[in-house]
Amino acid sequence: MLDLKNVSVKYGNFTAIKDINIRVDKGEIVVLLGANGAGKSTTFRTISGLKTPFKGNVLLEDDLIDNKPPDKIVKQGIVQCAEDRKLFPEMSVQENMMMGAYIHRKKKNKIKQTLKEVYKLFPVLYEKRKNPAGSLSGGQQQMLAIGRALMSKPKLMLLDEPSIGLAPLIVEQMFESIKQINKEGTTILLAEQNAHAALSIADKGYVYENGNIVVEGSSKELFANEEVRKAYIGA
Amino acid sequence: MDVLLQQLFNGLTIGSVYSLVALGLTLVYGILHIPNFAHGALYMVGAYITYTIMTSLGLHYLLSILTSIIAVGMISVLMERLVFHPLKDSTPIQHKVAAIGMLLFLESFAQLIWGADYQQMETPFGQVIDFFGLTVTMQRLIIVITAVVAMILLYLFLKKTFTGATIIAMAQNREGAHLVGINTNKVAMLTFFISGVLAALGASLTSPINLVFPSMGHLVILKAFVIIIIGGMGSIPGAILGGYIIGFSESIGATYISSDYSDIISFALLVIILTIKPQGIFSKGGV
Ligand SMILES: Nc1ncnc2c1ncn2[C@@H]1O[C@H](COP(=O)(O)OP(=O)(O)O)[C@@H](O)[C@H]1O
Ligand SMILES: [Mg+2]
Repeated sequence: MLDLKNVSVKYGNFTAIKDINIRVDKGEIVVLLGANGAGKSTTFRTISGLKTPFKGNVLLEDDLIDNKPPDKIVKQGIVQCAEDRKLFPEMSVQENMMMGAYIHRKKKNKIKQTLKEVYKLFPVLYEKRKNPAGSLSGGQQQMLAIGRALMSKPKLMLLDEPSIGLAPLIVEQMFESIKQINKEGTTILLAEQNAHAALSIADKGYVYENGNIVVEGSSKELFANEEVRKAYIGA
Repeated sequence: MDVLLQQLFNGLTIGSVYSLVALGLTLVYGILHIPNFAHGALYMVGAYITYTIMTSLGLHYLLSILTSIIAVGMISVLMERLVFHPLKDSTPIQHKVAAIGMLLFLESFAQLIWGADYQQMETPFGQVIDFFGLTVTMQRLIIVITAVVAMILLYLFLKKTFTGATIIAMAQNREGAHLVGINTNKVAMLTFFISGVLAALGASLTSPINLVFPSMGHLVILKAFVIIIIGGMGSIPGAILGGYIIGFSESIGATYISSDYSDIISFALLVIILTIKPQGIFSKGGV
């Protein structure tokens, strides 16, 4: 479904990611692991069209997307929940959700249906639908970011560190929801520092170090990998 | 009592115009994140275009306004495309310099075409009418009604349509807007268009009771800055409320203190309000 081929991205003169090769197949959950600053978000920004690669290609179902603007990429079915959520803080929860459905704005009935589905997945968002997004707790804001992304009915969802800053119990719920979303047909590319939780729901993973992919493999292989265990799982 | 009511109505008139101008300024602030200093020049150009269409083509006042607001809306879009868009990755100070450059350019341009003289704009609505016991000119009534209708339409557009909501969304989080699939270039152009329309509308409505001249935008834009600072940068209700606060205080100040000081009143209010609420009355970005 998604292919990154030898992708390199620079900020000014600084190369943030080098020769990255990633493949995500339909229906999978794929995880990008790595410490802070390793290049996970840069990879996501590139897929979403917020950054243009300086070298290499990004393909969605054999269609080149690396020179397309962000709004075209959303229309093609890739949506991102960014690290800092990027909600519209003074709009209500429901208004945020509606903006998520922007690309389907002419299909009012379809939007209503999707809204119902998302509220079913995150009932707390329904309870808070009239509150401004900025007034929600961290976990609720993360749910709203995921909910807003789901409103575009994506084929592929990019989730950048959804567990960051959340209490362990909420993290567990978050990963349950991600599994559920995947089961209902959305392919997922996940960036995480919480390797244990991420690998337990993922099919496969890539490990980043200083802008390079140093290890890749199925979740089982990564769990079994001595270095990965030491560096990211801590056992 | 009568004097007070009369002055309140005058306040409503000036306040309506201030609100229109401040609304355009606050909307564009959501896109540029700096106050657009050239906004006052758009206001001035709007007055001149209405004036020119009336005098040289002989069109009706209202029809001239309609033509003028569309023309200034387009000039404003052009300004976004040619000046601000190419600077989108540069620093705020560069935006400010560009905005001041546009202001100077448009003012010299007006001086070149229309000269430095003061012009008087005629209105077909000069008659005096009795309005709930107040003696007012039809023109002032039209200013208030048109401004209020324009503000209600703008509010409905921003609040009830997807296209309008993209303006609010982009002001609150530009990357968030990208990530839900909004074409932010289109939003920027739309916002500049609306802002130009509002400036030209305000100018054309108030010109028959003031005068038309190249630097007519200075004082108005200065007050619009005061208004959006008082109301909270980027806040829409803040711009409306702030406009009326300044309008009422000026007209009441002119009666009970002295008309010589009416322009100082808004700046005095700025100091007082910011001392009490340093962030302005409303926080930024809301509707
Ligand atoms: N806007 C930017 N300008 C310059 N350097 C950046 C920018 N964003 C990220 N970087 C750098 O790129 C590298 C990768 O960052 P990032 O992709 O955010 O990593 P991660 O998401 O894995 O924490 C880091 O060294 C970071 O400092
Ligand atoms: Mg990151």
